Amino acid sequence: MFATSRTARLLLHVANATVILFILLPLVAVFVGSIQSEKALQADTRRLLPLEFTLDNFTVILSKGEQKGRIFEQVTYLPDNIKHFYTAFLNSAIVAVSVTFLTLLFGSLSAYTIAHLRFRWTLFLMQANVVARFVPVIVLMIPLYIVMRSLGQLNTLSGVIIAETGFLLPYAILILAPYFDSIPRELEEAARIDGCTRLRAFVFVILPLSTPALAACGVIMFIISWHELLIPLILNARPDVMTLPVVIASLVGDVHVFFNLMMAICLLALAPTVILVALLQKYIVEGLSAGAVKG
Amino acid sequence: MTVVAPQMAVARHKRRRGFGREMSAGWFAFFMNVPTLLFLVLVLAWPVIYAGYLSVHRVGLAQLRRGEFPFTGWENYGRVLEDPLFWTALQNTVIFTAVTVSTEVVLAVMIALLINQTGVWTSRLTRLLILLPYAIPPIANGLIWAFMYSFQFGFLNRILFTLGLTQDPVNWAGNPETALFAVTVPYIWRTLPFAIILVHAALQGIPRELYEQAAVDGARAWRRFWHVTLPLLRPVIAVILILRTAFAFAVFEEILAITQGGPGDATWVAAWYSYKITFSPPNNFGMGSASAFILALMIGVMALVYLRAVYRRVTL
Repeated sequence: MFATSRTARLLLHVANATVILFILLPLVAVFVGSIQSEKALQADTRRLLPLEFTLDNFTVILSKGEQKGRIFEQVTYLPDNIKHFYTAFLNSAIVAVSVTFLTLLFGSLSAYTIAHLRFRWTLFLMQANVVARFVPVIVLMIPLYIVMRSLGQLNTLSGVIIAETGFLLPYAILILAPYFDSIPRELEEAARIDGCTRLRAFVFVILPLSTPALAACGVIMFIISWHELLIPLILNARPDVMTLPVVIASLVGDVHVFFNLMMAICLLALAPTVILVALLQKYIVEGLSAGAVKG
Repeated sequence: MTVVAPQMAVARHKRRRGFGREMSAGWFAFFMNVPTLLFLVLVLAWPVIYAGYLSVHRVGLAQLRRGEFPFTGWENYGRVLEDPLFWTALQNTVIFTAVTVSTEVVLAVMIALLINQTGVWTSRLTRLLILLPYAIPPIANGLIWAFMYSFQFGFLNRILFTLGLTQDPVNWAGNPETALFAVTVPYIWRTLPFAIILVHAALQGIPRELYEQAAVDGARAWRRFWHVTLPLLRPVIAVILILRTAFAFAVFEEILAITQGGPGDATWVAAWYSYKITFSPPNNFGMGSASAFILALMIGVMALVYLRAVYRRVTL
């Protein structure tokens, strides 16, 4: 749509290079930071790339602090949370998978009825979901903390899963509803003429057709849940129920942890969602725009 | 649909005899929505109401242990509104939001136009990479930028030194004058892909004929953008403005990782205020709820605007 003169093309290339550099800059930083030693980072504070690289940061995290390697040889203190990497990773995975499953299950039941059976109250439910999406987590956390505390449900994974499912369900419905709406009513009607109940028509006719939307919604739910910090941070304080973001947050302000180790654990924590985004980009793009602009 | 109706009535009649009564559409819709209604009420509506309840009661650790919350009326709100730190936090939040949202809207439109250039190979490359920041956990993003900004060991200063741009290290996030702007950059970096994707989707929905018509009329690129593209992007820009404003108002992770509110109170924001008041000694849950409730009210207004402006077609 713009003129394709040589100067215009050159300007476009320059603009693209700038954007790409901006996107990659923090990723280069986390990578470069994670493969060098504390000594190298501290010895020369002006050097961009160190003289030698090491994988010791990853080794010490992945061996639960047992294999200290050369750079941690003399270190007597390692934060306990670093040693709980596998537990935290597993907890994050359990929470994210459960939340994805539950939001998809309940979200699709709800979004389907909102899209296909228009009652006044289902439309109101849709509007409630739009408003609910805006509720900031910090407002929910204070009452949820008090309730979970009085129920003795602090420090459980199920508490986190329930809270996150409730928090994300409205968003899942906003993503799914426009998709169900785009499926022709005739399909459902045909199935019902053949003797299907409404539920069977939904499960065996509509759902199989909706796999792209379920994939889009599911991957977004997984990513948000994998990233969620405030809910598990406030509900879970014991190391055995911490999720990865909570472990990472616990390193903030720990004077004994230096950037190399922090960057290594950040890199390990961001890897799963980066892989997901790389593989399922198309679905995420569709889901994000469906959840925001389609009514 | 009216044509099929009689047949359907027959089919339904037969089925009733064969398989017993099928539930009515109304009951079916209700049962399908039971889990959602439960979650909405228990995890969203009720906590918000309970936060309102807590905000007019005295709730500290001692009261939590006893399980009795004495009623105090508007006292918590009074104390929050009299706290200069609250107003600093609110002011910082407004500045933070204004900077991030306006920058994001401008950048999103520019970058969306850029990746929409199908004939340019670098644009295709950008389009492939554009979603990457969406994959980064906010807390990890914060720590990565803490490393970038570090006064002594930071990656940004190393780049400046290597390029020979400066002799003295820059204290990006440690200087009260620049700290608030320093935390806007990581936030923009992480949330920009969402805005770009929305604008890009809207751009692809603009019919080519409109541009061809404008080109026939002799409109140059800039005029075409101003008179054809921009008016058609107005709805999606409204969406981004409201959504991003509401979410930037509750920014938390990047503040926690990079500055923890510092230096001094330079980067205290609303969510950080509620968090610190509530979850660090002396643990004033009542005041924390009051401040969080004020934040929720402001965001609630944005939600209603969004509902009226964007989802007015919510009748589907």
